[in-house]
Amino acid sequence: MIASANSYSISGFGHDLPAKLEDLIDENTILVQRTLRSGQSLHYNGNVVILGDVNPGAEVAATGSIIIMGSLRGVVHAGAGGDVNAIVMAFHLQPTQLRIADHITRPPDNGAIDPDYPEMAQIKGGVVTIESFQYAGERQGKVT
Amino acid sequence: MLEFITRLFGKEYKSKNIAKERLRLVLVHDRASISPQMLESLKLDLIKVISNYMEIDEENLDVSLDSSGNTVALVANIPVTGMKRTAG
Amino acid sequence: MGQVLVVTSGKGGVGKTTTTANIGTGLAAAGHKVALLDTDIGLRNLDVVLGLENRIVFDIVDVVNGNCRLRQALIRDKRFEGLHLLPAAQTKDKTAVNPDQMLGLIAELKKEFDYIIIDCPAGIEQGFRNAIAGAEKAIVVTTPEVSAVRDADRIIGLLEASDLREPKLIINRIRPKMVRQGDMMSIEDILDILAVDLLGIIPEDDMIVITTNRGEAVVLDQNSRSGQAYRNIVRRILGEEVPIINLDEEEEGFFKKLRRIIGLK
Repeated sequence: MIASANSYSISGFGHDLPAKLEDLIDENTILVQRTLRSGQSLHYNGNVVILGDVNPGAEVAATGSIIIMGSLRGVVHAGAGGDVNAIVMAFHLQPTQLRIADHITRPPDNGAIDPDYPEMAQIKGGVVTIESFQYAGERQGKVT
Repeated sequence: MLEFITRLFGKEYKSKNIAKERLRLVLVHDRASISPQMLESLKLDLIKVISNYMEIDEENLDVSLDSSGNTVALVANIPVTGMKRTAG
Repeated sequence: MGQVLVVTSGKGGVGKTTTTANIGTGLAAAGHKVALLDTDIGLRNLDVVLGLENRIVFDIVDVVNGNCRLRQALIRDKRFEGLHLLPAAQTKDKTAVNPDQMLGLIAELKKEFDYIIIDCPAGIEQGFRNAIAGAEKAIVVTTPEVSAVRDADRIIGLLEASDLREPKLIINRIRPKMVRQGDMMSIEDILDILAVDLLGIIPEDDMIVITTNRGEAVVLDQNSRSGQAYRNIVRRILGEEVPIINLDEEEEGFFKKLRRIIGLK
Protein backbone atom coordinates (compact mmCIF):
# COMPACT_ATOMS: atom_id res chain seq x y z
CA MET A 1 0.00 0.00 0.00
CA ILE A 2 2.70 2.41 1.04
CA ALA A 3 4.85 1.28 -1.83
CA SER A 4 2.18 1.85 -4.44
CA ALA A 5 1.28 5.29 -3.09
CA ASN A 6 4.90 6.20 -3.29
CA SER A 7 5.51 4.95 -6.78
CA TYR A 8 2.44 6.93 -7.84
CA SER A 9 3.93 10.14 -6.53
CA ILE A 10 7.15 9.53 -8.40
CA SER A 11 5.51 8.51 -11.64
CA GLY A 12 3.29 11.54 -11.23
CA PHE A 13 6.24 13.64 -12.38
CA GLY A 14 5.48 12.41 -15.85
CA HIS A 15 7.58 11.39 -18.82
CA ASP A 16 10.12 14.20 -18.44
CA LEU A 17 11.51 12.68 -15.26
CA PRO A 18 15.33 12.47 -15.37
CA ALA A 19 16.39 9.06 -16.61
CA LYS A 20 18.24 8.46 -13.37
CA LEU A 21 15.05 8.67 -11.32
CA GLU A 22 12.95 6.82 -13.86
CA ASP A 23 15.09 3.73 -13.26
CA LEU A 24 14.36 3.88 -9.57
CA ILE A 25 10.65 3.31 -9.80
CA ASP A 26 10.24 0.09 -7.96
CA GLU A 27 7.44 -1.50 -6.03
CA ASN A 28 9.81 -2.38 -3.24
CA THR A 29 9.92 0.95 -1.46
CA ILE A 30 9.31 1.74 2.18
CA LEU A 31 7.99 5.08 3.38
CA VAL A 32 9.16 6.16 6.82
CA GLN A 33 7.24 9.03 8.36
CA ARG A 34 9.49 9.97 11.23
CA THR A 35 12.85 11.45 12.13
CA LEU A 36 15.64 8.97 12.83
CA ARG A 37 17.61 9.96 15.91
CA SER A 38 21.06 9.07 17.16
CA GLY A 39 21.38 5.34 17.76
CA GLN A 40 18.46 4.41 15.53
CA SER A 41 19.13 2.49 12.38
CA LEU A 42 17.04 1.42 9.43
CA HIS A 43 18.03 -1.40 7.11
CA TYR A 44 15.83 -2.21 4.18
CA ASN A 45 15.91 -4.45 1.17
CA GLY A 46 14.76 -1.93 -1.42
CA ASN A 47 14.32 1.84 -1.61
CA VAL A 48 13.74 4.04 1.40
CA VAL A 49 11.85 7.33 1.49
CA ILE A 50 11.98 9.24 4.74
CA LEU A 51 9.58 12.04 5.59
CA GLY A 52 11.72 13.50 8.32
CA ASP A 53 15.36 13.99 9.20
CA VAL A 54 18.26 11.59 9.69
CA ASN A 55 20.15 12.98 12.68
CA PRO A 56 23.87 12.55 13.49
CA GLY A 57 24.44 9.08 14.90
CA ALA A 58 21.51 7.58 12.99
CA GLU A 59 22.08 5.17 10.14
CA VAL A 60 20.08 4.21 7.06
CA ALA A 61 21.16 1.36 4.82
CA ALA A 62 19.18 0.27 1.78
CA THR A 63 19.95 -2.04 -1.10
CA GLY A 64 18.25 0.54 -3.32
CA SER A 65 18.14 4.33 -3.20
CA ILE A 66 17.50 6.62 -0.26
CA ILE A 67 15.42 9.77 -0.49
CA ILE A 68 15.16 12.01 2.54
CA MET A 69 12.49 14.67 2.63
CA GLY A 70 14.34 16.55 5.31
CA SER A 71 17.88 16.98 6.57
CA LEU A 72 20.44 14.22 6.25
CA ARG A 73 23.09 14.59 8.95
CA GLY A 74 23.77 10.93 9.83
CA VAL A 75 25.25 8.02 7.92
CA VAL A 76 23.54 6.61 4.81
CA HIS A 77 24.41 3.66 2.68
CA ALA A 78 22.54 3.33 -0.61
CA GLY A 79 23.06 0.33 -2.85
CA ALA A 80 24.17 -1.62 0.19
CA GLY A 81 24.08 -4.84 -1.83
CA GLY A 82 26.50 -3.41 -4.38
CA ASP A 83 24.11 -1.52 -6.68
CA VAL A 84 26.22 1.31 -8.12
CA ASN A 85 23.15 2.91 -9.72
CA ALA A 86 21.58 3.70 -6.35
CA ILE A 87 21.29 7.37 -5.39
CA VAL A 88 20.92 9.40 -2.23
CA MET A 89 18.78 12.49 -2.25
CA ALA A 90 17.97 14.90 0.56
CA PHE A 91 16.44 18.35 0.92
CA HIS A 92 19.46 19.19 3.02
CA LEU A 93 22.41 16.93 2.33
CA GLN A 94 24.94 17.24 5.17
CA PRO A 95 25.80 13.61 5.96
CA THR A 96 28.37 12.48 8.50
CA GLN A 97 29.27 9.90 5.92
CA LEU A 98 27.71 8.88 2.64
CA ARG A 99 28.16 5.48 1.08
CA ILE A 100 26.95 4.18 -2.26
CA ALA A 101 27.67 0.51 -3.01
CA ASP A 102 31.30 0.11 -1.90
CA HIS A 103 32.21 3.79 -2.20
CA ILE A 104 32.62 5.69 1.08
CA THR A 105 32.73 9.48 1.18
CA ARG A 106 32.71 12.08 3.88
CA PRO A 107 32.50 15.86 3.78
CA PRO A 108 35.84 17.68 3.64
CA ASP A 109 37.37 18.47 7.04
CA ASN A 110 37.32 22.23 6.63
CA GLY A 111 34.68 22.64 3.96
CA ALA A 112 31.77 24.59 5.31
CA ILE A 113 29.56 24.20 2.26
CA ASP A 114 25.98 24.24 3.43
CA PRO A 115 23.61 24.82 0.52
CA ASP A 116 19.91 25.25 1.22
CA TYR A 117 18.63 23.43 -1.84
CA PRO A 118 18.04 19.70 -2.42
CA GLU A 119 21.01 17.67 -3.56
CA MET A 120 21.53 14.25 -5.07
CA ALA A 121 24.52 11.99 -4.70
CA GLN A 122 25.31 9.30 -7.25
CA ILE A 123 28.25 7.45 -8.69
CA LYS A 124 29.51 9.04 -11.90
CA GLY A 125 32.63 7.76 -13.58
CA GLY A 126 33.59 5.68 -10.60
CA VAL A 127 33.36 8.49 -8.02
CA VAL A 128 30.55 9.76 -5.84
CA THR A 129 29.39 13.14 -7.09
CA ILE A 130 26.95 15.50 -5.49
CA GLU A 131 24.80 17.81 -7.58
CA SER A 132 21.97 20.12 -6.82
CA PHE A 133 18.63 18.54 -7.56
CA GLN A 134 17.15 21.09 -9.93
CA TYR A 135 14.15 19.11 -11.00
CA ALA A 136 12.07 19.54 -7.89
CA GLY A 137 12.66 23.27 -7.92
CA GLU A 138 11.43 23.68 -11.50
CA ARG A 139 8.45 21.53 -10.78
CA GLN A 140 7.54 23.58 -7.76
CA GLY A 141 7.79 26.72 -9.82
CA LYS A 142 5.31 25.38 -12.35
CA VAL A 143 2.74 24.42 -9.75
CA THR A 144 2.61 27.66 -7.79
CA MET B 1 20.52 37.44 57.40
CA LEU B 2 22.04 35.18 60.01
CA GLU B 3 23.51 33.16 57.20
CA PHE B 4 25.05 36.31 55.76
CA ILE B 5 26.63 37.29 59.07
CA THR B 6 27.99 33.85 59.77
CA ARG B 7 29.35 33.82 56.26
CA LEU B 8 31.09 37.11 56.97
CA PHE B 9 32.60 36.18 60.28
CA GLY B 10 32.62 32.46 60.64
CA LYS B 11 34.34 29.79 58.66
CA GLU B 12 32.13 26.90 59.66
CA TYR B 13 29.15 27.90 57.59
CA LYS B 14 30.93 27.67 54.25
CA SER B 15 28.98 25.55 51.79
CA LYS B 16 32.01 23.39 51.06
CA ASN B 17 32.04 22.30 54.69
CA ILE B 18 28.42 21.29 54.41
CA ALA B 19 29.27 19.37 51.25
CA LYS B 20 32.18 17.61 52.91
CA GLU B 21 30.19 16.67 55.97
CA ARG B 22 27.31 15.29 53.92
CA LEU B 23 29.74 13.34 51.80
CA ARG B 24 31.37 11.81 54.86
CA LEU B 25 28.01 10.59 56.07
CA VAL B 26 26.87 8.99 52.82
CA LEU B 27 30.27 7.40 52.32
CA VAL B 28 30.15 5.79 55.74
CA HIS B 29 27.03 3.97 54.62
CA ASP B 30 28.30 3.33 51.09
CA ARG B 31 31.59 1.88 52.23
CA ALA B 32 30.09 -0.25 54.96
CA SER B 33 27.64 -1.35 52.27
CA ILE B 34 24.93 -1.77 54.87
CA SER B 35 21.43 -1.12 53.63
CA PRO B 36 18.72 0.23 55.92
CA GLN B 37 17.07 -3.22 55.75
CA MET B 38 20.28 -4.89 56.92
CA LEU B 39 20.59 -2.41 59.75
CA GLU B 40 17.00 -3.19 60.72
CA SER B 41 17.56 -6.94 60.82
CA LEU B 42 20.79 -6.38 62.77
CA LYS B 43 18.73 -4.41 65.26
CA LEU B 44 16.22 -7.25 65.62
CA ASP B 45 19.01 -9.81 66.14
CA LEU B 46 20.61 -7.58 68.77
CA ILE B 47 17.31 -7.35 70.63
CA LYS B 48 16.97 -11.13 70.52
CA VAL B 49 20.44 -11.74 71.96
CA ILE B 50 20.37 -9.02 74.60
CA SER B 51 16.86 -9.99 75.72
CA ASN B 52 18.33 -13.27 76.89
CA TYR B 53 20.27 -11.38 79.53
CA MET B 54 18.49 -8.10 80.15
CA GLU B 55 15.11 -6.48 79.90
CA ILE B 56 15.41 -3.67 77.38
CA ASP B 57 13.24 -0.85 76.14
CA GLU B 58 12.73 -1.92 72.54
CA GLU B 59 10.81 1.24 71.65
CA ASN B 60 13.68 3.60 72.32
CA LEU B 61 16.44 1.47 70.91
CA ASP B 62 18.69 3.10 68.33
CA VAL B 63 21.31 1.48 66.13
CA SER B 64 23.34 3.49 63.61
CA LEU B 65 26.68 3.80 61.88
CA ASP B 66 28.94 6.67 62.77
CA SER B 67 32.33 7.84 61.62
CA SER B 68 35.12 9.71 63.24
CA GLY B 69 38.09 10.40 61.02
CA ASN B 70 38.71 7.31 58.95
CA THR B 71 37.09 4.76 61.22
CA VAL B 72 33.52 3.59 61.17
CA ALA B 73 31.73 2.63 64.36
CA LEU B 74 28.48 0.84 65.04
CA VAL B 75 26.72 2.88 67.70
CA ALA B 76 23.89 1.23 69.62
CA ASN B 77 21.91 3.02 72.26
CA ILE B 78 19.93 0.38 74.19
CA PRO B 79 18.05 1.49 77.29
CA VAL B 80 18.07 -1.28 79.92
CA THR B 81 14.98 -1.51 82.13
CA GLY B 82 16.03 -4.45 84.29
CA MET B 83 18.33 -7.46 84.66
CA LYS B 84 17.38 -11.06 84.33
CA ARG B 85 18.39 -13.36 87.14
CA THR B 86 19.36 -16.37 85.07
CA ALA B 87 20.81 -16.46 81.66
CA GLY B 88 18.89 -18.16 78.84
CA MET C 1 54.11 -4.43 25.14
CA GLY C 2 51.74 -1.53 25.65
CA GLN C 3 50.27 -0.22 28.84
CA VAL C 4 46.50 -0.34 29.29
CA LEU C 5 44.75 2.51 31.12
CA VAL C 6 41.04 2.86 31.78
CA VAL C 7 39.46 6.29 32.36
CA THR C 8 36.39 5.97 34.55
CA SER C 9 34.22 7.95 36.97
CA GLY C 10 30.92 6.32 37.80
CA LYS C 11 29.00 9.54 37.32
CA GLY C 12 28.36 10.85 33.83
CA GLY C 13 29.36 14.25 32.58
CA VAL C 14 32.47 14.76 34.70
CA GLY C 15 34.84 14.71 31.73
CA LYS C 16 35.91 11.11 31.07
CA THR C 17 35.76 11.43 27.32
CA THR C 18 37.49 14.82 27.24
CA THR C 19 40.19 13.43 29.51
CA THR C 20 40.66 10.32 27.36
CA ALA C 21 40.94 12.44 24.22
CA ASN C 22 43.44 14.84 25.77
CA ILE C 23 45.67 12.27 27.41
CA GLY C 24 45.67 10.23 24.20
CA THR C 25 46.47 13.26 22.04
CA GLY C 26 49.15 14.39 24.49
CA LEU C 27 50.85 10.99 24.50
CA ALA C 28 50.70 10.85 20.71
CA ALA C 29 52.14 14.37 20.49
CA ALA C 30 55.03 13.09 22.60
CA GLY C 31 55.68 10.51 19.89
CA HIS C 32 53.99 7.44 21.33
CA LYS C 33 51.72 5.01 19.55
CA VAL C 34 48.32 5.33 21.18
CA ALA C 35 45.03 3.49 20.70
CA LEU C 36 41.88 5.02 22.18
CA LEU C 37 38.96 2.67 22.82
CA ASP C 38 35.43 3.98 23.16
CA THR C 39 33.50 1.37 25.14
CA ASP C 40 30.38 3.48 25.59
CA ILE C 41 28.36 1.34 23.18
CA GLY C 42 25.08 3.02 22.28
CA LEU C 43 26.28 6.45 23.42
CA ARG C 44 29.39 6.91 21.33
CA ASN C 45 31.14 10.24 21.89
CA LEU C 46 34.90 9.98 21.73
CA ASP C 47 34.74 10.19 17.92
CA VAL C 48 33.04 13.61 17.95
CA VAL C 49 35.34 14.95 20.66
CA LEU C 50 38.30 13.99 18.46
CA GLY C 51 36.58 15.26 15.30
CA LEU C 52 36.75 11.84 13.62
CA GLU C 53 33.03 11.06 13.45
CA ASN C 54 32.81 11.11 9.69
CA ARG C 55 35.53 8.50 9.18
CA ILE C 56 33.82 5.65 10.96
CA VAL C 57 33.07 2.61 8.86
CA PHE C 58 33.48 -0.25 11.35
CA ASP C 59 33.27 -0.22 15.14
CA ILE C 60 34.23 -2.24 18.19
CA VAL C 61 31.17 -4.53 17.84
CA ASP C 62 32.12 -5.29 14.22
CA VAL C 63 35.60 -6.25 15.41
CA VAL C 64 34.53 -8.59 18.20
CA ASN C 65 31.90 -10.18 15.95
CA GLY C 66 34.47 -10.77 13.24
CA ASN C 67 32.72 -8.57 10.65
CA CYS C 68 36.04 -6.89 9.98
CA ARG C 69 39.66 -7.02 11.03
CA LEU C 70 40.87 -4.82 13.88
CA ARG C 71 43.08 -2.89 11.50
CA GLN C 72 40.09 -1.93 9.34
CA ALA C 73 38.17 -0.50 12.27
CA LEU C 74 41.01 1.60 13.71
CA ILE C 75 40.72 5.23 12.61
CA ARG C 76 43.89 7.25 12.29
CA ASP C 77 43.84 10.74 13.77
CA LYS C 78 43.98 13.75 11.43
CA ARG C 79 47.03 15.22 13.16
CA PHE C 80 49.05 12.46 14.70
CA GLU C 81 50.30 9.42 12.86
CA GLY C 82 50.51 7.47 16.11
CA LEU C 83 47.00 8.18 17.40
CA HIS C 84 44.21 5.73 16.58
CA LEU C 85 40.58 5.40 17.64
CA LEU C 86 38.49 2.26 17.88
CA PRO C 87 34.96 3.71 17.97
CA ALA C 88 32.01 2.31 19.89
CA ALA C 89 28.89 1.17 18.06
CA GLN C 90 26.03 3.63 18.21
CA THR C 91 23.15 1.38 17.26
CA LYS C 92 23.79 -1.49 19.71
CA ASP C 93 23.89 -1.71 23.49
CA LYS C 94 26.41 -2.64 26.17
CA THR C 95 25.64 -6.36 25.96
CA ALA C 96 26.96 -6.48 22.38
CA VAL C 97 30.44 -7.00 23.85
CA ASN C 98 31.54 -9.11 26.83
CA PRO C 99 34.61 -8.91 29.09
CA ASP C 100 36.26 -11.95 27.47
CA GLN C 101 36.03 -10.37 24.04
CA MET C 102 37.54 -7.18 25.47
CA LEU C 103 40.48 -9.16 26.83
CA GLY C 104 41.13 -10.65 23.40
CA LEU C 105 40.86 -7.26 21.73
CA ILE C 106 43.25 -5.60 24.16
CA ALA C 107 45.78 -8.43 23.89
CA GLU C 108 45.87 -7.78 20.16
CA LEU C 109 46.20 -3.99 20.57
CA LYS C 110 48.99 -4.36 23.13
CA LYS C 111 51.25 -5.90 20.51
CA GLU C 112 51.16 -2.78 18.41
CA PHE C 113 50.61 0.23 20.67
CA ASP C 114 52.56 1.84 23.52
CA TYR C 115 49.41 3.03 25.26
CA ILE C 116 45.86 1.75 25.10
CA ILE C 117 43.41 4.14 26.76
CA ILE C 118 39.88 2.95 27.39
CA ASP C 119 37.04 5.46 27.72
CA CYS C 120 34.59 3.87 30.15
CA PRO C 121 30.85 4.55 30.06
CA ALA C 122 29.09 6.07 33.06
CA GLY C 123 27.54 3.59 35.47
CA ILE C 124 28.70 0.37 37.08
CA GLU C 125 26.95 -2.19 34.87
CA GLN C 126 28.21 -4.31 32.03
CA GLY C 127 29.71 -1.37 30.16
CA PHE C 128 31.92 -0.67 33.16
CA ARG C 129 32.88 -4.34 33.52
CA ASN C 130 33.80 -4.48 29.83
CA ALA C 131 35.90 -1.33 30.10
CA ILE C 132 37.94 -2.49 33.07
CA ALA C 133 38.31 -6.11 31.92
CA GLY C 134 41.68 -5.70 30.24
CA ALA C 135 42.92 -2.61 32.08
CA GLU C 136 46.17 -2.57 34.04
CA LYS C 137 45.85 0.89 35.57
CA ALA C 138 42.85 3.07 36.30
CA ILE C 139 42.36 6.82 36.17
CA VAL C 140 39.32 8.06 38.08
CA VAL C 141 37.88 11.44 37.04
CA THR C 142 35.77 13.46 39.43
CA THR C 143 34.60 17.02 39.96
CA PRO C 144 34.33 18.91 43.25
CA GLU C 145 30.68 18.00 43.75
CA VAL C 146 29.13 15.77 46.39
CA SER C 147 27.53 13.47 43.80
CA ALA C 148 30.66 13.06 41.67
CA VAL C 149 32.94 12.40 44.65
CA ARG C 150 30.54 9.87 46.08
CA ASP C 151 30.43 8.01 42.76
CA ALA C 152 34.21 8.19 42.50
CA ASP C 153 34.45 6.56 45.91
CA ARG C 154 32.15 3.76 44.80
CA ILE C 155 34.17 3.25 41.61
CA ILE C 156 37.46 3.16 43.52
CA GLY C 157 35.97 0.43 45.70
CA LEU C 158 34.84 -1.56 42.65
CA LEU C 159 38.22 -1.12 40.95
CA GLU C 160 40.03 -2.40 44.01
CA ALA C 161 37.67 -5.37 44.16
CA SER C 162 38.68 -6.12 40.55
CA ASP C 163 42.38 -5.96 41.42
CA LEU C 164 42.90 -2.55 39.83
CA ARG C 165 44.65 -1.20 42.87
CA GLU C 166 45.95 2.31 43.46
CA PRO C 167 43.85 4.15 40.92
CA LYS C 168 44.98 7.69 40.14
CA LEU C 169 42.64 10.64 40.54
CA ILE C 170 41.99 13.59 38.23
CA ILE C 171 39.90 16.41 39.69
CA ASN C 172 38.21 18.24 36.86
CA ARG C 173 36.40 21.59 36.65
CA ILE C 174 37.95 23.25 39.65
CA ARG C 175 36.97 26.90 40.07
CA PRO C 176 39.75 28.48 42.11
CA LYS C 177 37.69 31.52 43.06
CA MET C 178 34.91 29.40 44.54
CA VAL C 179 37.45 27.25 46.37
CA ARG C 180 38.98 30.39 47.90
CA GLN C 181 35.56 31.60 48.98
CA GLY C 182 34.91 28.25 50.62
CA ASP C 183 32.05 27.46 48.28
CA MET C 184 33.72 24.55 46.53
CA MET C 185 35.52 21.58 47.99
CA SER C 186 39.27 21.99 47.60
CA ILE C 187 41.73 19.44 46.26
CA GLU C 188 42.75 18.66 49.84
CA ASP C 189 39.12 18.12 50.88
CA ILE C 190 38.58 15.60 48.09
CA LEU C 191 41.88 13.79 48.61
CA ASP C 192 41.12 13.65 52.31
CA ILE C 193 37.90 11.79 51.56
CA LEU C 194 39.00 9.53 48.71
CA ALA C 195 42.53 8.78 49.97
CA VAL C 196 44.07 8.05 46.54
CA ASP C 197 47.02 9.49 44.61
CA LEU C 198 46.40 12.65 42.61
CA LEU C 199 47.32 12.51 38.93
CA GLY C 200 46.28 16.07 38.21
CA ILE C 201 43.75 18.85 38.43
CA ILE C 202 42.01 20.64 35.59
CA PRO C 203 40.63 24.13 36.14
CA GLU C 204 37.22 24.98 34.68
CA ASP C 205 38.03 26.54 31.33
CA ASP C 206 35.99 27.88 28.42
CA MET C 207 38.71 26.68 26.05
CA ILE C 208 37.58 23.09 26.67
CA VAL C 209 34.17 23.91 25.20
CA ILE C 210 35.70 25.83 22.32
CA THR C 211 38.22 23.14 21.35
CA THR C 212 35.61 20.38 21.71
CA ASN C 213 33.30 22.33 19.40
CA ARG C 214 36.03 22.19 16.80
CA GLY C 215 36.84 18.53 17.40
CA GLU C 216 40.29 19.40 18.69
CA ALA C 217 42.09 18.62 21.93
CA VAL C 218 42.82 21.43 24.38
CA VAL C 219 46.11 19.74 25.33
CA LEU C 220 47.57 21.20 22.11
CA ASP C 221 46.52 24.73 23.06
CA GLN C 222 49.64 26.38 24.44
CA ASN C 223 47.87 29.37 25.98
CA SER C 224 45.08 27.83 28.02
CA ARG C 225 45.31 26.75 31.65
CA SER C 226 43.43 23.53 31.04
CA GLY C 227 45.78 22.68 28.17
CA GLN C 228 48.74 23.15 30.50
CA ALA C 229 47.02 21.00 33.11
CA TYR C 230 46.53 18.14 30.63
CA ARG C 231 50.13 18.45 29.42
CA ASN C 232 51.25 18.08 33.02
CA ILE C 233 49.12 14.96 33.41
CA VAL C 234 50.65 13.46 30.28
CA ARG C 235 54.15 14.13 31.60
CA ARG C 236 53.26 12.46 34.90
CA ILE C 237 51.96 9.40 33.05
CA LEU C 238 55.31 9.32 31.24
CA GLY C 239 57.03 9.18 34.62
CA GLU C 240 58.13 12.79 35.09
CA GLU C 241 57.76 14.58 38.39
CA VAL C 242 55.65 17.64 37.69
CA PRO C 243 54.29 19.73 40.55
CA ILE C 244 50.52 20.32 40.71
CA ILE C 245 49.69 23.81 39.41
CA ASN C 246 48.94 26.33 42.09
CA LEU C 247 45.58 27.68 41.04
CA ASP C 248 45.79 30.69 43.32
CA GLU C 249 48.89 31.94 41.58
CA GLU C 250 47.42 31.37 38.17
CA GLU C 251 44.33 33.39 38.71
CA GLU C 252 45.38 36.41 40.67
CA GLY C 253 42.83 39.15 41.01
CA PHE C 254 43.06 42.68 39.75
CA PHE C 255 43.91 44.27 43.08
CA LYS C 256 46.47 41.64 43.94
CA LYS C 257 48.09 42.24 40.59
CA LEU C 258 47.96 46.01 41.10
CA ARG C 259 49.52 45.71 44.53
CA ARG C 260 52.25 43.57 43.10
CA ILE C 261 52.87 46.06 40.31
CA ILE C 262 53.12 49.06 42.63
CA GLY C 263 55.36 47.07 44.91
CA LEU C 264 53.21 46.54 47.97
CA LYS C 265 53.73 42.81 47.89
